[in-house]
Amino acid sequence: MEQADNNQPVTAGTTVCDTRATLRQGLLDEIQGLKRFSNRGLWALSLFLGVSTLAWRNFPFLPRPEKIVASLGPPPTAQIISLVLILYTFSAIILSLCRMMANLRHRSSFCHVGYLGVFYLFYYLADGLADNYWAVFGAGFTILLMESYRIWTFCNDNIGKKNEQLAYLERTGRLPLDDPNDT
Amino acid sequence: MFDRIAGRALIPVGIVVTGFLIVCFVLLYSAIKTVVVKDSIGHANNLAGIILKSTRYAMLKSDRELNSAIVQNISQQKGVEHVRIFSQTGIVAFSSNAAEVNRQVDKKAEGCILCHAKNEPITTLGNMEKARTFKNRLGEDVLAITTPIYNEPECADAACHVHPASQKVLGTLDIGLSQDATLSSLSSIRGEMVLFSLLTLILTTAGVIALLKMIVLQPMRKLQEYTERSESDSQLEHPHNLPYELDKIARSFYFIRNKLAEAEQHTVKTDANLR
Repeated sequence: MEQADNNQPVTAGTTVCDTRATLRQGLLDEIQGLKRFSNRGLWALSLFLGVSTLAWRNFPFLPRPEKIVASLGPPPTAQIISLVLILYTFSAIILSLCRMMANLRHRSSFCHVGYLGVFYLFYYLADGLADNYWAVFGAGFTILLMESYRIWTFCNDNIGKKNEQLAYLERTGRLPLDDPNDT
Repeated sequence: MFDRIAGRALIPVGIVVTGFLIVCFVLLYSAIKTVVVKDSIGHANNLAGIILKSTRYAMLKSDRELNSAIVQNISQQKGVEHVRIFSQTGIVAFSSNAAEVNRQVDKKAEGCILCHAKNEPITTLGNMEKARTFKNRLGEDVLAITTPIYNEPECADAACHVHPASQKVLGTLDIGLSQDATLSSLSSIRGEMVLFSLLTLILTTAGVIALLKMIVLQPMRKLQEYTERSESDSQLEHPHNLPYELDKIARSFYFIRNKLAEAEQHTVKTDANLR
């Protein structure tokens, strides 16, 4: 009985230390995750540059456009593709700006690479890739640069917050109360 | 730079405006180029039609001298690179370059392959299909139109040289036009568009910077100076004419600073009384 009484404060102290260590580890994991996530935009940009290089070389692994057109039917005209490209660029930029304003964590970069690849492909089939290559490249670079900047600022802000929480945890042994403005 | 308000506001604006302007510029230029090229192909087709109409009578009469003279005169016109008339078998019957006359042309050559790709040649082509572009020996861009010369009742019935009525195409006319004028127009349009795009970009960026400085940065600096100076002077009046949100912050700071000063004075008085 006496031995149990002596052990109680030690157990409570160990539990507090364990909780603090768990919280600390959780915060460190989140910081690590945010650091990884902050590079997502740049990875998407690199992938887009790869797709653009293939488009610049006129998709050497694809059959000639005439063959594809013969089997799939005629593609939309270059003017219609350009119109859709303008609409897409405008919407993507507005969406990115809205996400930036709302401070949302959104993983949208890689799908843009897919959309832009499809634009390259349609121009290739419509025989308008040479004239419109730089338009798709400019649109992709702008959208992905915007997304990279949005993701990077989001992660930087959150890493700062997590570091503050970590410092608070080291000082007080508990996490600060949640900020209602945080998303 | 990325931590400051100016940096955070200007980087997205700069990226968005520059990128969207480049996309619109390239697409607009591409659309204009398509229109200009279509227009020049239309003009070249008209010119080919005029040549065919001009030579029609001489062909009906089988007047080689007159035909040669017409071809030579047209080829002397500025911007006309070459004029050739081929027989159905691919032999150059008339040409602006005398050395080419009576030479056989390969049916697989550029400009011929379009119709002669299959065993049975195509006899009708659209305006755009008749056109091809290439660089001549001087490295200049040339737009060439190859148009068929169709058999007509007058040709089949002519007494001089009989073509059977069943023969649909008698030969082809090939005319090459220098693209210098078209390319120069396009270059001029491109220059003007670049200039307007740059001006728009500069104006947008300057407008955003000016507004940001006037509405946010200058009042923020006033507020910053006020908070720094009030550390040494607690009676300092808060700045006026600030935007609503910053004015509220300044008033709150002024209120807290006064309360703190009162509390400090109260503590000093209490300490003095205790002594």
